[in-house]
Amino acid sequence: MLAGVVWLLAWQPSPPVPEQRRNDVVVQYWEKWTGVEQDAIQQIVDDFNDTVGKEKHIYVDMLSMSNIDQKTLVATAAGEPPDVAGLWDTKIPQFGELGALTPLDDMAAAHGITAGYYKPVYWRGCHYNGHLYSLVSTPATIALFYNTKIFHENAAELRAAGLDPDRAPRTLHELDRYASVLNTFKIGPDGRKHLDRAGYIPMLPGWYITDMPIWFGADEWDEKTKRFTLTDPGVIAAFNWIQSYSIKLGADAVTEMQTSQGGFNSVENEFIAGTVAMEMQGPWMANYIHHWKPEMDHDWAAAPFPSAVGQKLVTYAPFDALAIPVGAKHKKEAFEFIAYINRQDVMEKLCMLHCKNSPLAKVSNYFLTHHPNPYIRVFEELAWSPNAHITMQCPIASEAGQELLALAQGVVALQLDPETALREAQVRLQARYDDFEAKQKIRQRDR
Amino acid sequence: MSGKRTNFWALIATYAALIVVCSLAVIPFLWMVSTSLKPDREVMAYPPRWLPRHIETNRHGIPTNYALAISSDHTNFRLWTRNTLIVAALSVLGTTLSSALVAYGFARIRFRGRGLLFGLVLSTMMIPFPVIMGPLFVIFIWLGRHTPFDWMGTFKPLWVPQWFGSAFNIFLLRQFFVTIPEELSEAARIDGCTELGIFWRVMLPLSRPALSVVALFTFLWAWRDFMGPLVYLQYPSQYTLSLGLQTFQSQNGATPWNQLMAASVLVILPVLVLFFMAQKTFIEGIATTGMKG
Amino acid sequence: MRRIAIETRNIPKGLAFISPWLAGFAVFLLLPIIMSLYYSLCDYNLLQRPVFVGLENYRFLIHDAVFWLALKNTLYYGALSVPAGLGVSLALAILLNRRVIGQPFFRTIIFLPSLVPTIAAAILWKWLFNQKLGLINWALSPLYSLLHVQGPAWIDQPGWVIPSLALMSVWGVGNTVVIYLAGLQDVPRELYEAAELDGASGLKQLYHVTLPMISPVIFFNLVMAVITVVQVFDIPFMMTQGGPNRASYFYTYYLYDNAFSYLHMGYASALAWIQLLMVLALTGIAFWSSKKWVYYQGK
Repeated sequence: MLAGVVWLLAWQPSPPVPEQRRNDVVVQYWEKWTGVEQDAIQQIVDDFNDTVGKEKHIYVDMLSMSNIDQKTLVATAAGEPPDVAGLWDTKIPQFGELGALTPLDDMAAAHGITAGYYKPVYWRGCHYNGHLYSLVSTPATIALFYNTKIFHENAAELRAAGLDPDRAPRTLHELDRYASVLNTFKIGPDGRKHLDRAGYIPMLPGWYITDMPIWFGADEWDEKTKRFTLTDPGVIAAFNWIQSYSIKLGADAVTEMQTSQGGFNSVENEFIAGTVAMEMQGPWMANYIHHWKPEMDHDWAAAPFPSAVGQKLVTYAPFDALAIPVGAKHKKEAFEFIAYINRQDVMEKLCMLHCKNSPLAKVSNYFLTHHPNPYIRVFEELAWSPNAHITMQCPIASEAGQELLALAQGVVALQLDPETALREAQVRLQARYDDFEAKQKIRQRDR
Repeated sequence: MSGKRTNFWALIATYAALIVVCSLAVIPFLWMVSTSLKPDREVMAYPPRWLPRHIETNRHGIPTNYALAISSDHTNFRLWTRNTLIVAALSVLGTTLSSALVAYGFARIRFRGRGLLFGLVLSTMMIPFPVIMGPLFVIFIWLGRHTPFDWMGTFKPLWVPQWFGSAFNIFLLRQFFVTIPEELSEAARIDGCTELGIFWRVMLPLSRPALSVVALFTFLWAWRDFMGPLVYLQYPSQYTLSLGLQTFQSQNGATPWNQLMAASVLVILPVLVLFFMAQKTFIEGIATTGMKG
Repeated sequence: MRRIAIETRNIPKGLAFISPWLAGFAVFLLLPIIMSLYYSLCDYNLLQRPVFVGLENYRFLIHDAVFWLALKNTLYYGALSVPAGLGVSLALAILLNRRVIGQPFFRTIIFLPSLVPTIAAAILWKWLFNQKLGLINWALSPLYSLLHVQGPAWIDQPGWVIPSLALMSVWGVGNTVVIYLAGLQDVPRELYEAAELDGASGLKQLYHVTLPMISPVIFFNLVMAVITVVQVFDIPFMMTQGGPNRASYFYTYYLYDNAFSYLHMGYASALAWIQLLMVLALTGIAFWSSKKWVYYQGK
């Protein structure tokens, strides 16, 4: 045992930069992805190092890490940030507001990356306070995935309810009707009725639960007036709608459905296992279905998630951002790498590996015809839609997001009345923001 | 006569109670080991099966789940174990030596203000770590900028503070030192030994059980610590076992249960082995240190 | 007079021996505490300079619903887990102190869970608590059918999550048991023999001999448990992320989020100071009450 300990202590992990690249500029790149997504970006990094990097004597060293937002902020505060940070889009306003990010406007323009090069929704998302603080590594649009096999098996019942089994619901009200036809129950060991299969459950997977107001034509934050708008009728309606499923099916049944299985990335994923017939998801779902259950490849379809207020092509458009923290040592070289990822051919390769749509205005025919998600055109169309929404452009978005997520959980558990809870959250978050703004003003005045 | 019968039944009751509580303590472990050996499709079987029907192994005969947990693209047990060992070894060495030195001062040198200072040492045990966590962070950044040594991005924030004695260990060792007869140190003093010499040549050798308890407690603490590494470590290449395992667990989506259980078994195993080896010293040490307050 | 002179002369030597602790105390404890007090009077985000705001953070705290919720959750968890932990571990220690064959074996088994790294325990219990496939609901299923109820979702259900975590904490009481065992060794045999001669039953002996004699140890364990429980963080961080609906959002978790996620280092420091005062108050109450129930031998 002692020998083993000595051996481990003496062992040095191999250095990240290969011998022959020692004299290159080493760009530290922190990324949040793990698993398949990490492998894909590693391929792109390797490509860069072997081509453009070799030419320009730049070597990108990628580290995959958890809690990346926190680690980046803390490293920036310590003066030792990475050269490129793969952040979530939701963090850009906070980081930008605190002066933690380098504006990329000039470097981007010099590389020909301008408004016309991007789809408008992502270009908007990369900006905060009039500055370009990030570029996209991979984006997504959120849509409705539905299990066509379950639809067909229940064709008669759906028709009886006046619904077409060969297409997706087109209004949110219609989605509710599809869902209730597709619910099935069984008698549990306790002698009561339990949900066996659900048509739809708002919290499955629930990743975008706090963005639901988008489909009700409402926003949670008004960027112009710098006010939360949580008491907007659309926001209240959205959370009421979320709660309606717990009221219809019972809070216990919904909890049971949400927690029963082994996890998203598994064969027990509720949509893949067929315990839920419809789900709100991003384009990557196709990859997971294919990985865990290839025989299901032709038993699903994707369509725009229907709006409650009759809007067309409503979507939430999140993305993974690449940014250069203030204090990074190799900004120019870092941007070379970011620009490389933003080349159309490279971007399409990465987005196909991740099974996502492209953020760029121009998309090749090959991308559309060979994409691992056969419904990629749906996601591309959504990304162009004027009803595509970016994340809340609010510097205290991380706090607001946590507050709203807790609120949604309470609403689903029937612990909270949506309207009352939203009113309270409005007061609390607005006070938080006003305080934040006041302090930023003091800092600017004293400078 | 009746006394004897009660004793007999009392003994039976004792054994029954012991067996019940020990089963409750140990069943989760057995379940963990059982799950860690199951292939994917057996993990979700209901009702649960205790013995896996079939254990998948790789070509070296190592169960697949363990092979994947030890080394895949996303786990690196060798690295995590090495990092944990570095932090643990430096912490154990530092805290044992420094706490013993300080404890000696409190136990054997009569000086004014001793009682007051010892009270201060004990009262620091009440300071919650979260209170100092943030400012310490700022101090480490400052030290990194104003001394020739890097702090952030190294293991120093985790082990350097251990070299300045820790209240609990100082208390434990002081209680032990007080029980060692003064005559022994007096004899050494007459032979011309300095105070430091007495500490090193007389006190430490006599205090082996207490020192082992301190060392073992510190090692276990370092092996289990999560918040320290979470706040102060920066790079994946620095991750300790706790942090590595947490990352492995929280990966996008979820890691299969059987692999997680295999990884958990691997994290627990070394401390179990260590405990079995040190068990006797440990229990004796605790008993002799006494908690007489 | 002579004693005082010696003790004065010894000051440099004494200070030299305790100097490591003094230095560490100054840099790694006193300084951070003072800084924390200063930050608690500032708006500070780590990236930009602190702005002095006086007592504003403390005023905000009074109206902060999440602060009160986190405090309530922590105290509720403490009210469940501290007595349960102290009681169960005392019972276990008394059981393990009986002279039976295989005593070391039983002691080791009970100690095992406290060796398990928190993260491994978190993973294991998450699996045990799983509503449909977990071992706990499976083991209790006969009871459920008898009562015609459905097994709870444990950590996934707002009303159940804190009791579940408290239940899990009882599994890891091995450390406390060991300290009780050490205390039980020190109870003089003669006292039991005398009690037996007086015809005291087992329960009476427990109440009149064991408990008073080990009351200092109970007190020590109580104080340690209170200090630990006020800081609980890693288990909810790993198992529930404070959910569902913040039902397991504990005080230190809120402090951590404020410090490192929201970058409200000033507010986090105010929370930290309240936490410090809370620990002092709770231990103060414990010390005050100890006069009534802790019995010190030889005093």
